[in-house]
Amino acid sequence: MDEDILTTLKILIIGESGVGKSSLLLRFTDDTFDPELAATIGVDFKVKTISVDGNKAKLAIWDTAGQERFRTLTPSYYRGAQGVILVYDVTRRDTFAKLDNWLTELETYCTRNDIVKMLVGNKIDKENREVDRNEGLKFARKHSMLFIEASAKTCDGVQCAFEELVEKIIQTPGLWESESQNRGVKLSNHEEGYRGGACGGYCSML
Amino acid sequence: MAADSEPESEVFEITDFTTASEWERFISRVEEVLNDWKLIGISSGKPLGKGVYTTETWEEKSDEISFADFRFSVTHHYLVQESSEKDSKEEIVEDALPVAMQDLLCMNNDFPPRAHCLVRWYGLREFVVIAPAANNDAVLSESKCNLLLSSVSIALGNTGCQVPLFVQIHHQWRKMYVGECQGPGVRTDFEMVHLRKVPSQYTHVSGLLDIFKSKIGCPLTPLPPINISIRLTYVLQDWQQYFWPQQPPDIDALVGGEVGGLEFGKLPFGACEDPISELHLATTWPHLTEGIIVDNDVYSDLDPLQAPQWSVRVRKADNPQCLLSDFVTEFFKLCRRKESTDEILGKSAFEEEGKEVADISHALSKLTEPAPVPIHKLSVTNMVHTAKKKIRKHRGVDESPLNNEVLNTILLYLFPDAADKSADGSEARTSTSTGSLPPPDSEDYNIYIQFKSAPSDSLTYKLALCLCMINFYHGGVKGVAHLWQEFVLEMRYRWENNFFVPGLASGAPDLRCCLLHQKLQMLNCCIERKKARDEGKKANSFDRSSGDPGKTDLLGREFHKDSDKEKGEVGKSWDSWSDSEEEFFECLSDTEELKANGQENVKKGVAKESSKETLALKPEGRLHQHGNLTLLHSGEPLYVPVTQEPAPMTEDLLEEQSEVLAKLGTSAEGAHLRARMQSACLLSDMESFKAANPGCCLEDFVRWYSPRDYIEEEMVDEKGNVVIKGELSARMKIPSNMWVEAWETAKPIPARRQRRLFDDTREAEKVLHYFAGQKPADLARHLLPCVLHAAVLKVKEEESLEDITSVKRIIKQIITHSSKVLRFPNPEDKKLEEIIAQIMSVEATIARARSLKAKFGIEKCDEEEERKDLENFVNSFLEQPEVPVIGAGRGPAGTIIHKLFMNAQRVATMLPFDEELKRSGSSDEKRLSSGSVADFPSPAGREVILRMTIPRPAPYSKPLPQRMYSVFTKDDFRLAGAFSSDTTFF
Repeated sequence: MDEDILTTLKILIIGESGVGKSSLLLRFTDDTFDPELAATIGVDFKVKTISVDGNKAKLAIWDTAGQERFRTLTPSYYRGAQGVILVYDVTRRDTFAKLDNWLTELETYCTRNDIVKMLVGNKIDKENREVDRNEGLKFARKHSMLFIEASAKTCDGVQCAFEELVEKIIQTPGLWESESQNRGVKLSNHEEGYRGGACGGYCSML
Repeated sequence: MAADSEPESEVFEITDFTTASEWERFISRVEEVLNDWKLIGISSGKPLGKGVYTTETWEEKSDEISFADFRFSVTHHYLVQESSEKDSKEEIVEDALPVAMQDLLCMNNDFPPRAHCLVRWYGLREFVVIAPAANNDAVLSESKCNLLLSSVSIALGNTGCQVPLFVQIHHQWRKMYVGECQGPGVRTDFEMVHLRKVPSQYTHVSGLLDIFKSKIGCPLTPLPPINISIRLTYVLQDWQQYFWPQQPPDIDALVGGEVGGLEFGKLPFGACEDPISELHLATTWPHLTEGIIVDNDVYSDLDPLQAPQWSVRVRKADNPQCLLSDFVTEFFKLCRRKESTDEILGKSAFEEEGKEVADISHALSKLTEPAPVPIHKLSVTNMVHTAKKKIRKHRGVDESPLNNEVLNTILLYLFPDAADKSADGSEARTSTSTGSLPPPDSEDYNIYIQFKSAPSDSLTYKLALCLCMINFYHGGVKGVAHLWQEFVLEMRYRWENNFFVPGLASGAPDLRCCLLHQKLQMLNCCIERKKARDEGKKANSFDRSSGDPGKTDLLGREFHKDSDKEKGEVGKSWDSWSDSEEEFFECLSDTEELKANGQENVKKGVAKESSKETLALKPEGRLHQHGNLTLLHSGEPLYVPVTQEPAPMTEDLLEEQSEVLAKLGTSAEGAHLRARMQSACLLSDMESFKAANPGCCLEDFVRWYSPRDYIEEEMVDEKGNVVIKGELSARMKIPSNMWVEAWETAKPIPARRQRRLFDDTREAEKVLHYFAGQKPADLARHLLPCVLHAAVLKVKEEESLEDITSVKRIIKQIITHSSKVLRFPNPEDKKLEEIIAQIMSVEATIARARSLKAKFGIEKCDEEEERKDLENFVNSFLEQPEVPVIGAGRGPAGTIIHKLFMNAQRVATMLPFDEELKRSGSSDEKRLSSGSVADFPSPAGREVILRMTIPRPAPYSKPLPQRMYSVFTKDDFRLAGAFSSDTTFF
């Protein structure tokens, strides 16, 4: 069924260790939750096809390890990503405070500047919340990102987050047109404004 | 139509087309097209404003129809107006004249600078043309022409279309059209005369008035006044004292070994010939009436200096040879060459390099050499020379595409550190990477990110420019292949002798740059590791020389074995669970540490050597203390270990690796395997940690590595004291998870004795092999972004001297366009060509601006205000097809133009006398040259528009617009008349 897939999108999940990146992904792809998910080593990878506004998109989602030491390893996978999900844990302020670092890193290693960014505040099911929703909103606005709060455990907002991100990417044509271009199938094949050849009766003078 | 007149059969519903002739079918097709385009019905519109034919846009629609097997194309040309749509409804009045007829009289758009010829001749805002579709086809015979015209007439009559319809007859280049426009009770016939020679009675206004009057044949006396518009155009081709200043750069200066005007690393710029070929001055009398002026075969009132309106256009040289454009285009052509380097240069120098040692001549030269020179003292250039000699030997002496001088200059430019006789890689490197760089934050400097090229101070960028220049001046593709071969040899030399490649930012390959740049950076990474290892080895052997010589020897030998073995190894460098103990990682910082605290080290070293059994228990490879943390069991301070640097990656390696990882699939096993494959780094870090912290446990490791996985809680113990108790997070406690597993496997081995995570030898060989396999075309594709980047920088620089707004805009467009195209791995040729074409047009525009500025003497102009006006005047040439001269012949610009013509005339009259006589054949020229010296030559073109409103054909008919346009040039004469008549009663 590859034919009706509009495009393949590369999506990245980043954020401090233990904020629930892998859990979010697992909830999205397999709709399960495992409270004892082993800490990711390096990068992990999952695929899911979703349909947004009738457009089918295949998502290749790269889940990264959040540990400081792995950060020398993972940025190589930022290359060519069209969307990024930046996750923090609403019950741990330090994971929110580190967001700036992650953005800088993204800016440094990302090969395109029009990448779509989404901020996700995870673990809203927990009671000991430390980061207010408004703070997340403010941060997202400041850095022109999408924002949502979610819980991988209760499934709140997870599906929505991925769909929103994909929709946004698809609305930014420069981001994903390359896919069809590389395949050799062109969606639009109009010649760009070829006008005013000197012939055809047009004379400039005399 | 035949089909319509046939009574319809109710039973069979057969429509019979068999009786319709080709002609009928043709007419019905024309009607269909008019219907399709909704050109049916009353056309209305307001009189047009001044100059809208140039300011608004023209559009056209086309369709194809055929008459029997002869194909015609039907084209609808129309002016698109944004504003007029609103209040057009109320104006629909029965019996109003069709818009086209009103346009005939409108004087607001006479002589439009750029328009379809029918617009120029008849002043129409909308019309349809039927012309032969094929370029060579023509409707020649008179009967066919008439047939076509009749078809048009019938189609217009049948549909009630009020848009004029033309047919093109005769050969296309003659631009002969006849046509018709029909309105309620009125008709306009468009007729045309086209001749090569001007009948002498029509060379002046009075003759034209005669023909116009007789054509109308109006019985009224006296005639209403005839409106006359005249435009005379003068051409200036001879720019006399303004020689085009730019000469092609002197190549010989370069070849001669003197780097003079033309430098490597700078792209040339500018046109080699004057990009402005002609200046056309149009002097216009927009509104005259018969009798106001006299213009007949003996006398003329039309003095260009007295004309109320002047406007100027310049004719641009069609494809001026521009240096930058040529450079870039030629380089782009390289991308399509198919030959490999070997094919171009003859034999392979790379393959035979290995056999070189056995070469007899080499052995001989060794014999004749006075004393063997230690290799590391050879300067880079020397090395290059010998390499070059070798290549020459293979091919025969004189075939070398690049001569010595050029090659030396280039290599010295690329590798400035080679000039330094005792080339020390590290020193040279620091000097090149810090000295004389543009500020790294500037917008221009960072353009390389958009182009995916390389920073403008990098070796890659310089190499691209050199190759570009060599391709242009020194032997084309052969030269390119030759330089590349030299370059690759140099790279190998540097790798083998631990000299850094200069002009590259240190650190891992910058993925924002082009692949070739990444590969060069990769090579530097390899050299860095190798150098560190070799130096570390030296230091170690020095350290241990007093101790155990046997071990040193063993180590040393192992290192030598290294490179040989690894070449054959195929496994992935990061897939390293095998406990191969033959490869070691020597950390730079580790050896530095060793050197720094010499005393402690000696102690440590001695301890190490004396008791091998306790080796594991002694802390090794400590970087620094980790805050105030202490080990949970022993209470010793927790040390951060020296760790192995992660492997640098180029984008192709990365692609390869992520593909491998992705291929493992999304299953649990896949994920597990993936984690295993990537755990080499984790394992290495655990081993280093264990070595640095004897007696540590996983909890200690986690507190350093992943602190959030160590959960601390305040607890109150039995005695009532508050105690902080910590434990691993749930996920770390999962039995036999990968972290636990790796921890159990890890042995306490300091980083410098671990298996290398990054196999520099293998990676370097891979890079060098990749380089050697690049064809010139591949190379050109790799470096094209750099060349485009350089070209844009050059254009930008040149533009800043001229300050042309339109060019600024286009440059911005080029950059955004490029960033879209070049980011993808294999940009299409067509898109690349578009970018190059844009650069070319910008260059030409700038060259034109310079040429014009020189011609109008802006530099010489002293008065500030006048100068500004002139500058504006000149700049508007670049954006408008025709520029009005403020103040006509009396304004400042007009005076300069007048002088230009006078100077050209003075030179022209110095021609031999008899030639002068021959030239002045026409009466007009006679008139002008009869005086001493006329300021202006005879006009190259005379255009006259005659207009009047008059009843036709009978005195009692409706007064209707009549118009005749005439133009004559040296060998072309045309009359285009539009004569309307009242068809009621006729």
